[in-house]
Amino acid sequence: MKNLPPKSRRWAKVRIALLGTLLMAFAVAVMHRAWELQVDRAPALREMAEEQYLRRIRLAPKRGTIYDRHGAELAVSVDVDSVWANPRALRENGGDPDVIAGRLSRLLGVDRERIARRLHSDRYFVWIKRRITPQLAARVRDLDLPGVRLEREARRFYPNRQLASHVLGFANIDGVGIEGLELSLEERLRGDRRVVPAIRDRRGRVVFSEQLLDDRAAQGDDVTLTLDRTIQRIAERELALAVQTFEAKAGSVVVMDPESGEILALANYPTFDPNDPGDSPASHRRNRAVTDRFEPGSTVKPFTVAAALARGTIGPEQLIDCEDGAMQVDEYVIHDTTPHEELTPAQILAYSSNIGTAKIGGTLGRRGLYRAFRRFGFGEETGLELPGEAGGILRHFRRWYEMDAATISFGQGMSSTSVQLATAMSAIANGGRLVRPRLIGQVRDANGAVVQETHPEVRRRVVPERVARLVGDMLTAVTGPGGTAEEAAIDGYLVAGKTGTAQKADYVSGGYAEDRWLASFVGFVPAEDPRLVISVVVDEPVIAHYGGVVAGPVFRRVGEQALRHLGVPASTGGEALADHARTQRRRRRMARRIARERGDTEEAPPTPAVTRAIMPGEVAVPDLEGMTARRAVVALNEAGLRATLEGHGVVRSQLPAAGQPIPRGERVRVILQPAYAAVGREPEDALALAATESTAEGATP
Amino acid sequence: MGALRERMGERVAAAKARLAVPKVIGPADPVLTAVVVALVAFGVVMVFSASAVFASQRYDDPFHFLVRQGLFAFVGLGVMLGVARFDYHRYRALTYPVLGVAMLLLFAVVLGFGRSAGGAQRWIAVGPVNIQPAEAAKLALILWLAYSLSKKAGRMRSFQIGFLPHALVAGFLMLLCLKQPDFGSAVMIGLLTFVLLFTAGARLGYLLGAVLLAAPVAYLLIATSDYRMRRIQAFLAPFEHRYGIGYQIAESLMSFGAGGPTGVGIGDSRQKLFYLPEAHTDFISAIIGEELGFVGVSLLLVAFALVVWRGLRIAARAADDYGTYLAIGITMFIGLQAFTNLAVAMGMLPTKGLVLPFISYGGSSLLVNCAAVGILLNVSRERDVEEVGEPEAGPAESTKKTKTSRGDAGAKKKRRRRNGRRPGEAAGGAVAAQGGTA
Repeated sequence: MKNLPPKSRRWAKVRIALLGTLLMAFAVAVMHRAWELQVDRAPALREMAEEQYLRRIRLAPKRGTIYDRHGAELAVSVDVDSVWANPRALRENGGDPDVIAGRLSRLLGVDRERIARRLHSDRYFVWIKRRITPQLAARVRDLDLPGVRLEREARRFYPNRQLASHVLGFANIDGVGIEGLELSLEERLRGDRRVVPAIRDRRGRVVFSEQLLDDRAAQGDDVTLTLDRTIQRIAERELALAVQTFEAKAGSVVVMDPESGEILALANYPTFDPNDPGDSPASHRRNRAVTDRFEPGSTVKPFTVAAALARGTIGPEQLIDCEDGAMQVDEYVIHDTTPHEELTPAQILAYSSNIGTAKIGGTLGRRGLYRAFRRFGFGEETGLELPGEAGGILRHFRRWYEMDAATISFGQGMSSTSVQLATAMSAIANGGRLVRPRLIGQVRDANGAVVQETHPEVRRRVVPERVARLVGDMLTAVTGPGGTAEEAAIDGYLVAGKTGTAQKADYVSGGYAEDRWLASFVGFVPAEDPRLVISVVVDEPVIAHYGGVVAGPVFRRVGEQALRHLGVPASTGGEALADHARTQRRRRRMARRIARERGDTEEAPPTPAVTRAIMPGEVAVPDLEGMTARRAVVALNEAGLRATLEGHGVVRSQLPAAGQPIPRGERVRVILQPAYAAVGREPEDALALAATESTAEGATP
Repeated sequence: MGALRERMGERVAAAKARLAVPKVIGPADPVLTAVVVALVAFGVVMVFSASAVFASQRYDDPFHFLVRQGLFAFVGLGVMLGVARFDYHRYRALTYPVLGVAMLLLFAVVLGFGRSAGGAQRWIAVGPVNIQPAEAAKLALILWLAYSLSKKAGRMRSFQIGFLPHALVAGFLMLLCLKQPDFGSAVMIGLLTFVLLFTAGARLGYLLGAVLLAAPVAYLLIATSDYRMRRIQAFLAPFEHRYGIGYQIAESLMSFGAGGPTGVGIGDSRQKLFYLPEAHTDFISAIIGEELGFVGVSLLLVAFALVVWRGLRIAARAADDYGTYLAIGITMFIGLQAFTNLAVAMGMLPTKGLVLPFISYGGSSLLVNCAAVGILLNVSRERDVEEVGEPEAGPAESTKKTKTSRGDAGAKKKRRRRNGRRPGEAAGGAVAAQGGTA
């Protein structure tokens, strides 16, 4: 502007300076604002910003593998594809949600309406179907639909299907343990599911994490179990066979190493496939060997005898008067299945004499019997690494009923689990030490380093070794000729064990049910150097009831195959024993078949161990089942009793049970139900305690 | 006759003088060149940082915008250096064609030939590139105003000659912009016109009158337009409308806050993960604020302040008033855009849809801004012209005279070169020496 006159030039310069000042003022104002936002208000604004993109995500690292003791995979996590869609992207790319829903529905078998509804949503992410097979995934990929994607997700897979399903339990679709070891080992298996702050974009996808962890450090630990897959398979197969053969309701088998406490097999029936746990009812998924209590019955007799021998209250060869099969104690009568005069402790065990055992138990006194059973581990959990383990019930001796001192010595008025029985029998087998049963051998992290290792744990000495050996020897007679469990004898090996044939408590009417039995056998083999303790429990067998007949063969078959698998040499002089056992078995089988062909019942039902004597002024309650209300009242009146009717229809149950002695003129509760509603009920777990209480009472009146 | 001829001769001489192209004797402003090159380069980096995630999501190619902006920057800087070599006096002849083309383009957009983006017709597709006629129109207006104001140098205080024609042309352009609708460009055109008329010495009364007249019009425009009202509301209380109309500005404020004093580091912005819309265009300053913090924003402001300072310095030292007005217009054009964009991103002004010059993604605006700086750089070159002295000039003034004769130019040049080598000796030709050595 040098062409302008100086005066206007000066003014122009003043104006330019003014403009410059204004612009600089603007710049300073902006900078001031920047200071305000980025220094003064920064923490608050940053917090708001972080709130929207910082999401605390839970890392789901690879879940650890569960192996059996030889490294066979029992539970593994495999990556599978899941189908999801981005409905917005789908529509933006010109996809018609309805058409795509139709195609996906046809391919994946998901309801068409449901897919369509999801695809019409305004979201960025919807699941279509999770965890599909690789073949389906390939076909979805081939369809190449807009906005439809596949994502890798880990799925828990149990390659052996039902094998050890109750021990393993299962994990849900998100890889969280729900039952069994999957639940109790959740912390170890799931790995470092640390909650880490991650950045997500506005579409909600995680973009990156500031603390991306070392993949392997985050991975779950691998767990090696003490289970032997082969023995487990044998146990499951033989148990299933027995339960089906005897038309029983359920059953369980525990195979344990008595020295180390390692559980080699833990089988239950009915079973389920953990790959699809939803397909089976909850009752099939229950780990009965661990969670179900039952009155063990005669299988506890060896422990009573061992305790008495250890205390010296009886001698090993002492003759005990077995009262010829019936002994009245106060107002109760204790029965033996076969009457005997005088028996040694060994014979008492071999013939399973209730009277003899009650007398031996009596020598210990209440306190002595209670202490002895506690030392064998009854009334407390064994400490197995499984959820929901029941401890069994052994009430304190101060709260025992009159008869308990006698009945508990032969396993009535108390309860235990299969695992408890196996553990207690291990103490006899291993020379008197109570070991803690173990399922977990070793836990290793993803790098192979051992992070946890269990070792045999002797909890306490129960009886002196001498006594344990002595009782072990006595128990070999059980499977010998004339014993209650000849069926349990294994060719070539000396078997020690004890049968149990317990009448089940009737939860509805109280007392014992006449036709519901629990057959069991707990034993160990080879008796002279025990390698296996096997406990077999079969619940409510129908075809036969005796422990020796129902549970004994399971023991034999499992033991036979397991010993062969383990390569245990046969007992000395085994051949002669084996021949004898084989002949005996063949003879019995023949006799049973002939009996069956003749239409006889296979065997007489076992006698109830305890009944109450009918005292003067008492009457036996008549059996009312199936009667109409009117007939029930008449029947009770004839017996000199009165009725309290509940409900309508026909008599479903009564309290006290039929045959129970009660004072003349007492009231009998009669529960009626319409005939069509009289379907079988299964006792609930919650009732178990009450049932045990009523059991004690039931055994008493 | 002689008198008439003499008078005719004077007018022809005056016209010749006006149209004459004075000889260039100095280099272009190196500070301005350096700052602008730095800004453009910085812009390419920031566009990549702000757009990579969006680009990989949208185009499956994180470098989509980087490649384009890099190309624009290359072309833009080439255009800048090319324009800087083109003597600005030659634009005088191009004034009306350029203005005409700009108006035609604006018209075309208004008539619906443009491409729609964000609810407004602002773009025209020319082959593969989209151009924004409003940007070109601003530059055309600056060229025309500079031409017209310098032509009417002595008569600027009159209403009919000094004020009305400029107000009419500017008003017409503003109207075209408002039709698009592009309120921001309209305001910018108004501001540029106001500033240039002010520096050219138009009566303040007319200018203030125009402002008083424009205020109710602007108010009506805002009050009758839903989207403008919403923008005002969003501006007044961004966090109350955080999930609605205030979303963008609230996200922008959070970006600046998240950056804090020193920023989260280049490339580490989280707001660009689809939280902040237009992160690589209008709101790139928010990403700069987040990644580089207060320090980065301050440096950016200093860079633009440098551009403004050098621009106004060039205006004050331009060879003639035409150059002065050009320089002021261009400086204002760039400075106002920059500061307004930052102010908008920080919630000091309502959202306008203005880009951050040299930084924001977009070829159209980058090319126009680079061309504008090219013109500014050309104006900055010292020219061989005589400074008009005051009629009653004293001896002090007469010493400032520079030679008019062409024959002396060479000698003077040599002298200045010497001065250039020994700046302390530049006692006499202070202006010339400064122009030469700066």
